[in-house]
Amino acid sequence: MRLRLQDVRKSFGENSVLRGVTFEVGPGEVVALAGENGAGKSTLTRVISGAHRPDSGQVLIDGEPMTFKDPQAAMARGIEVIYQEFRQNLFPHLTVAENIHVLDRERRFGRLLVSRKRMVRQAQAVLAGLGMDIDVRRPVGSLGVAEQQMVEIAKATSHDLGLLILDEPTAALDERESQQLFQQIERLRAEGVSIVYISHRLDEIFQLADRIVVLRDGQVALNAPTAETGPAQVVAAMVGNAVDDFYPKERNQRDDVVLRIRGAAASNAFHGIDLDVRAGEVLGIGGVVGCGRSALLRALFGLERFTAGTVEVDGRPVRLRGIPDALRQRIAYLTPDRGAEGLCAGLSVEANISLATLRRYTGRADLVRRAKERSACGDVMSRLRVRAASPGVPMSSLSGGNQQKALFAKWVLTGPRVLLMDEPTRGVDVGAKTEIYRIINQLTADGVAVVLVSSDLPELVAMSDRAIVMRQGRVVAELTGDRLDEQSVLEHALVGAA
Amino acid sequence: MIPNRSTLASAARQLRAVWMLLLVGVILSIASPVFLTSGNLLNVGLATAVVALLAIGQTYVIILAEIDLSVGATLGFSSVVTALVLRDHGLIPALAAGLGVGAAVGLVNGLLVTRTRMPSFIATLAMMSILAGMTLQLTSGNPVAITDYDFQGIGQAYLAGIPVPVWIMVVGYGLFGVLLGRTGFGRFVYATGDNQEAARLSGIRTHRVKILAFMISGLLAALGGFILTARLSTAEPTAGTGLELEAIAAVIIGGTSLAGGRGRLIGTLVGALVLGVIDNGMNLLDVSPFLQSVVKGLVILLAVFLDRNVDMLRALVTWRGPSAPSGTSATGGDLHADRPDPVPAPAPEAAQKPAGVSTVRPTP
Repeated sequence: MRLRLQDVRKSFGENSVLRGVTFEVGPGEVVALAGENGAGKSTLTRVISGAHRPDSGQVLIDGEPMTFKDPQAAMARGIEVIYQEFRQNLFPHLTVAENIHVLDRERRFGRLLVSRKRMVRQAQAVLAGLGMDIDVRRPVGSLGVAEQQMVEIAKATSHDLGLLILDEPTAALDERESQQLFQQIERLRAEGVSIVYISHRLDEIFQLADRIVVLRDGQVALNAPTAETGPAQVVAAMVGNAVDDFYPKERNQRDDVVLRIRGAAASNAFHGIDLDVRAGEVLGIGGVVGCGRSALLRALFGLERFTAGTVEVDGRPVRLRGIPDALRQRIAYLTPDRGAEGLCAGLSVEANISLATLRRYTGRADLVRRAKERSACGDVMSRLRVRAASPGVPMSSLSGGNQQKALFAKWVLTGPRVLLMDEPTRGVDVGAKTEIYRIINQLTADGVAVVLVSSDLPELVAMSDRAIVMRQGRVVAELTGDRLDEQSVLEHALVGAA
Repeated sequence: MIPNRSTLASAARQLRAVWMLLLVGVILSIASPVFLTSGNLLNVGLATAVVALLAIGQTYVIILAEIDLSVGATLGFSSVVTALVLRDHGLIPALAAGLGVGAAVGLVNGLLVTRTRMPSFIATLAMMSILAGMTLQLTSGNPVAITDYDFQGIGQAYLAGIPVPVWIMVVGYGLFGVLLGRTGFGRFVYATGDNQEAARLSGIRTHRVKILAFMISGLLAALGGFILTARLSTAEPTAGTGLELEAIAAVIIGGTSLAGGRGRLIGTLVGALVLGVIDNGMNLLDVSPFLQSVVKGLVILLAVFLDRNVDMLRALVTWRGPSAPSGTSATGGDLHADRPDPVPAPAPEAAQKPAGVSTVRPTP
């Protein structure tokens, strides 16, 4: 299928989101669509998939102008979108086979009853065709995130597929799962399916795409074959001017050990962990999802029990049996899932930022001293460059990057000795990422010991002073200096894994 | 306080409750000459006090994204316990026992919801059934008479010309409004209701917050029980039946979201007054008590509908231009314009629910 967008424009009220977008995706071509949050990627996706109608301009399929009245009409023409929150499109209590068949157009009205046997057989055939080994009788909710995504892809490919749009498909996947996804994309490409691949991750874009289209402020800022461009150009096109140092790493490491872990274990998650983290140091932890690194952070914050080993903070042995213990040791934890575990979306930005330190601003009769709270929040917001119309707007009105910065602000206010962060830049646009790295620099300059878990390898390598790699619950490598590069992290993370 | 979108939005929600109150008030004051008299308005306050108090606790619980279906039964049980202790041991032990029962029920509800992770709908539904049964068992189904003059004062006395229950309601809303809107605890209630996991990971003891909220709900049910019992001079084992739904209705009309995280106590007060005014008005207009329930149901639907469809309605109204509201009230006025009696018609003495128009006379 050949998709052509011709001067597509779309406004919402006075906000013009797409301001004349023109580009083309050929049959079997993978076009990466990049751009900061708010550049217009999602709106463009919705225009192509029939969820929005463009104000002007045309969407041409194989040269023929199309106006889809709804996404079902687009699907009937072979256009499928896999959204970032793909889990919302799956029914967790239904089986894989049932999910794949849920919108099967041929038998939606034709027959009242579905032959379970045939449904299972067809689902197996679809999955086998994709080279996937998933039991179609299992409920989708019992599958891992990556497998669920594969089911979503299987759904899309279970009938004639001409164009597949993937929106941040690897956001919830680890390195190995991402590679599996890329294999599927290669397979589809070989079958002549056109693919629009939306991602923040430059490494993926360069690995996958034939061509890169960058959107900025609703216009095409770059449209070039992958071979003829480089990461620096893409980033420059995204942000509008050249970013000299995308990773503004500062080295602030001191000698004194803040966090010392010896022989730490937690039942099934990790074993025999020995670690020292120094003041002002960023210790990176690499590894695939499930290798125990996230569990280690959770245990250090008192969310999971250590079954063996000792932890010292500033040379004093500590017991971490719950969140209050961790907070008392001034250990802070930035959660990986901002929406589910980080924000109170309906509360004001200010209330979110002061949440962990509220007791400092309460006086007689537990009354909150608003002036004191406001000035503390205002200070930290300007220091961390949290951009909000006012400290009183709801957290949900901020962009992902500013939400994340606000969560940093919450923990900065607690004056942490140790800051544990799990995927601190997930779902954050490029400009905000750099600002988050600057925040990490500020923290280390103040002597905070930082533990950084990240699946973004370039980020892990660039921002860590030292990195360990975990595999199956154990530390398998420690990398510093020249030996700390993406290749080594990946090798140690994957080699030996089943 | 700097206005922000969420407070403006919630203010707008509560404003809708205020509009509704004004609308009902205007209609009734045209329809009935009695409605706007100070005596009748005090009656509305008196009749609203019990539900309004229950709705305070319910607001806390609903902001926490939970629900407390047991408040009516808690009110009945604590009333009976209070009356029995009052008969045998005197006033102070009776008050202590009543409040103690309320707090204990709230504690158990809170523990069930937090420790066993049981949905509060189920836990408090079961509690409602248990308490209703225990109340009947304790009294063999008979009312317990109250002769203590001081205790009766809680429901029947006047202070500065205003009934004591109205004072209790006003003070209750003042205190608990400040607790919810201005204190650290209140902030924790909103945070926990908005996103319990995020609140917990910020160091808030979310279980404790929830348990305290259920205890507030139980305590206020006991307090409501004092008023009801004192007004009737008797503890009716079934006195609280259905009041939990009235309280929930008041909270919802007041603009609090069942999804948790947002809502304000002042809205709940307005919501309770809307219900009280409707009760009162329909009594004034001699509407059958059966139909009153229908009207209240419609009001709840209207409130939630308005809440969700303001934008649509606004578009509709601007499109049609100014017109409509007046016809109904005019006919209503004609129908009852000839009623001469400035005193509200007495409610049926036997009515099991003493809300509505009060017949209680001032005690000295």
